Amino acid sequence: MGQIFALASGCDATQLNLTAAEGYLLSRFDGSTPWRVLREMAGIPAADADSCLNRWIDEGFLEAIRNSSDSNSSSSASSSSDQTDSDGEESTPVDAAEAPSETPPAPQIDESKFDEGLDLDLSVQRRILEFEASLDQPYHRLLDVEKGSDPKVIKRAYFKLSKEFHPDRYFRQNIGPYALRLELIFKKVLEAHEMLSDPDLCQVENQSSTPSAVETVAAALPATEASPEPSAEKPKPLTKLERLRQRMPFKIDQAAIGARRAKAQEIFRAAEASQKAGRLQEAEANIRIAISFDPACSEFKEALGGLRIQAAGARATKLLATPSERMSEGELRDAWKLLEDVLLYRPHDPELNERAARVCLQLGKLDVAEEYAQTYMEGSPEVAGSHTLLGRIHRERGDRDAAVRAFERALKLDEEDLDARRALASVRLGARNEAQGGAA
Amino acid sequence: MSRVIGIDLGTTNSCVAVMENGQPTVIPNSGGYKTTPSMFGITQDGKRLVGHLAKRQAITNARNTVAAAKRLIGRRFDDPEVQKSIDLSPYEIVRGANEDPRIKAGGKTFTCPEISGIILREMKRVAEEYLSETVQEAVITVPAYFNDSQRQCTKDAGKIAGLEVLRIINEPTAAALAYGMNRPGEEKIAVYDLGGGTFDISILDMSDGVVEVLATSGNTFLGGEDFDRRIVQHLVEWFKESEGMDLRSDTMALQRLKDAAEKAKCDLSMRDVVEINLPFIASDSEGPRHLKYELTRENLESLVHDVVEGTLKSVEQCCVDAGVQASDIDQVVLVGGQSRMPLVQRRVTEYFGKRPHKGVNPDEVVGLGAAVQAAALLDSENDMLLLDVTPLSLGIGTYGGHFARLIERNTTVPVSKGHVFTTTRDDQSAVKIRVLQGESDLAAENDLLGEFVLSGIRPAPKGEPEVEVSFDIDANGIVSVSARDLATDKEQSITVSSTGTLSDVEIDEIIEEHDLYEVQLRD
Repeated sequence: MGQIFALASGCDATQLNLTAAEGYLLSRFDGSTPWRVLREMAGIPAADADSCLNRWIDEGFLEAIRNSSDSNSSSSASSSSDQTDSDGEESTPVDAAEAPSETPPAPQIDESKFDEGLDLDLSVQRRILEFEASLDQPYHRLLDVEKGSDPKVIKRAYFKLSKEFHPDRYFRQNIGPYALRLELIFKKVLEAHEMLSDPDLCQVENQSSTPSAVETVAAALPATEASPEPSAEKPKPLTKLERLRQRMPFKIDQAAIGARRAKAQEIFRAAEASQKAGRLQEAEANIRIAISFDPACSEFKEALGGLRIQAAGARATKLLATPSERMSEGELRDAWKLLEDVLLYRPHDPELNERAARVCLQLGKLDVAEEYAQTYMEGSPEVAGSHTLLGRIHRERGDRDAAVRAFERALKLDEEDLDARRALASVRLGARNEAQGGAA
Repeated sequence: MSRVIGIDLGTTNSCVAVMENGQPTVIPNSGGYKTTPSMFGITQDGKRLVGHLAKRQAITNARNTVAAAKRLIGRRFDDPEVQKSIDLSPYEIVRGANEDPRIKAGGKTFTCPEISGIILREMKRVAEEYLSETVQEAVITVPAYFNDSQRQCTKDAGKIAGLEVLRIINEPTAAALAYGMNRPGEEKIAVYDLGGGTFDISILDMSDGVVEVLATSGNTFLGGEDFDRRIVQHLVEWFKESEGMDLRSDTMALQRLKDAAEKAKCDLSMRDVVEINLPFIASDSEGPRHLKYELTRENLESLVHDVVEGTLKSVEQCCVDAGVQASDIDQVVLVGGQSRMPLVQRRVTEYFGKRPHKGVNPDEVVGLGAAVQAAALLDSENDMLLLDVTPLSLGIGTYGGHFARLIERNTTVPVSKGHVFTTTRDDQSAVKIRVLQGESDLAAENDLLGEFVLSGIRPAPKGEPEVEVSFDIDANGIVSVSARDLATDKEQSITVSSTGTLSDVEIDEIIEEHDLYEVQLRD
């Protein structure tokens, strides 16, 4: 069972008439991996693998070799546990190295990567390296399932690989660089499972098997440039943006969304009932649940905003009625906090944005004020006051040109806007004075 | 190698377990109880008491006895749920230096991780006495809906207790691990966890030792204590009507009511009617007053009916998230003491159309599961594997105060996801990446985990630059976020080192101080 075999010297594996699975198996004979391990990796039933082995030995393609400890130190550990003696001819390491190169599907494992100082058997290291090298296969081959398999089969395959490669399997063990490899492998297995078990995504994957797989590898390694496509028949290169969008396909399940929306409406009606009954806390909790069922529904958020305003009650009404110019600093801060709270739910309300801009201007928070004023202006561009307000903020910030432009826009909309006219004049005057000062 | 324990740090009771001969076993405390009240008290003469000792003196010393600190841990003082606790707790809760809630007891102010740390230290001691060896490492469970800060503070509590916390895992997941050990075959299970202070529902897929969380939902502020509170409220109102006295301002009376309510609630799981008898509950000029009330099961059920219905709403959301129908569930596992209530069992049975699984003890199964996870991580003999998930969605804040999710909640970790964003203004040269956690579509309503700026973007009209933002969560749940300008390949990244409310220095100080009290605790 633990014997080691290598391709017979002078044998040309490409001349054999083999199925893909058999070819894959044959390519794995490297003169250092015991048969026991190879048989597990074969991906075909053990009995079939055994019969292949016997056939190839009978036909003279394979030769049993002695424990290779004398030729290759790194493989000695992997085979030391199963030292059944074999009396076959000694094969040279050259043969062993050539074997995999003859059939292309086998990933070439650089044995110098093996590290005996780690808590990982060399056979496990080999398995990890080989699996890592095969990550760019199409998803179904990665999980070793048929295309269009039953979700249960896919899940089983995913669980099996998880058990093998999940980083937790080696928790606290000294596995050096393999920790990162395991993480990479697991993420990829996870992705394969996610894609294969979603019928919509599955189709996409089936249509464009290899290229999409290559792209997702790049996704797992954000630091590297997406590698150039090896396949020549690619219709047209995707832009980076398209490629990245493809990597994160948004799943849409209309039926589930419909169910969620209906549920959300039902909960929302319960919330309205609670609100009417005066149980505001309960109403708020229910609206929040409704929002989490249907986050896109703006009606819910409006209602939550309304509820918040209602909860703030008289204080809010009073604060919003006082002009900001007449407020004390404390009142201003209070008002700002309140406005922020309410604006969350009505981010584009021009009136609220105007109030907020004025309050922040008053408080000297010019950055924030500008943002509010900008929103106000975008919300009601035909109102001269919105431009004047923005201009005033620009002026406070010392951005004269922007201020002048804003005031001019305001005057264009409303020639009678005295505020804007005065402000514009004072800015221009200031500029002139400064220019003169500079000249003198 | 020293043993690793599993601790279920509950709102009202805690439980510790360890693996013995390949099976998880609950460790009884010195009083012989398998669970220990999560309570801490300081007596008049400055003695510090934990567990049953603290609970026993809670009535006479309500102001200096801390219970349910788990409801506060990792929250900000302004959190409405903290404010709710302030109204309801007999002990004083004050604003701490880091905007965290702190608890006053015995003339000293404690942080929440400190209180939890004291409880954990007691659990550690219980385990050490039983095993006759020191214990240094633990797996601790938290409600599935705990956010990053709450989890980090729980880790800090472990540190304060002198424990290295290998993992923080979710309570329903732990229950599933304990349930699923040694169970062959494939099953979909629902874990309905109604504990003292929190409610969690999880749907999991398990097959030959692999446990995958499909979805989790719940409410961190709903649990058995709400049931007690409803009873107390009812009794207070009844007493006011019949005797004309308001007991609300009397902490000692309230504590007695609370105790009696809890006991009546538990008794009503077995009986149809109980008598609540509290002599000398209050007194006025006309002499002492007594409270005597007959509470029926029906009466109780009408008081808490909506709370139970509230849990079923979460169950429904969980089913939708997991993409399953209630009828697809093969087993329902009930966890948490409150799940013993007949009303809960009846409604859950009705909802899933099948009787809940009977084989687990709802008070112990979470602790057992924590021990199983410890073994799964460290013991090569143990074949269990938990495919854990992120509890809350992760994403970034975008223009207009919106929240763009990059990693949905219930995503299996480790995982990486990325997406492309762009600028919102012409010639914008920098973007601020605000990393947020939460379920709201509004950025401001989610928790900010960290932020950084990617600068040096080439001037271009708005919408043209492409910035790829990628999120990466490793096997230990550590989140790192990077942003890359696709035109220049400039990159910035942060590791979101979720911080608790305490610094390392503060934790060391607390540990030192608690070492002084250790002698008194054992007294």
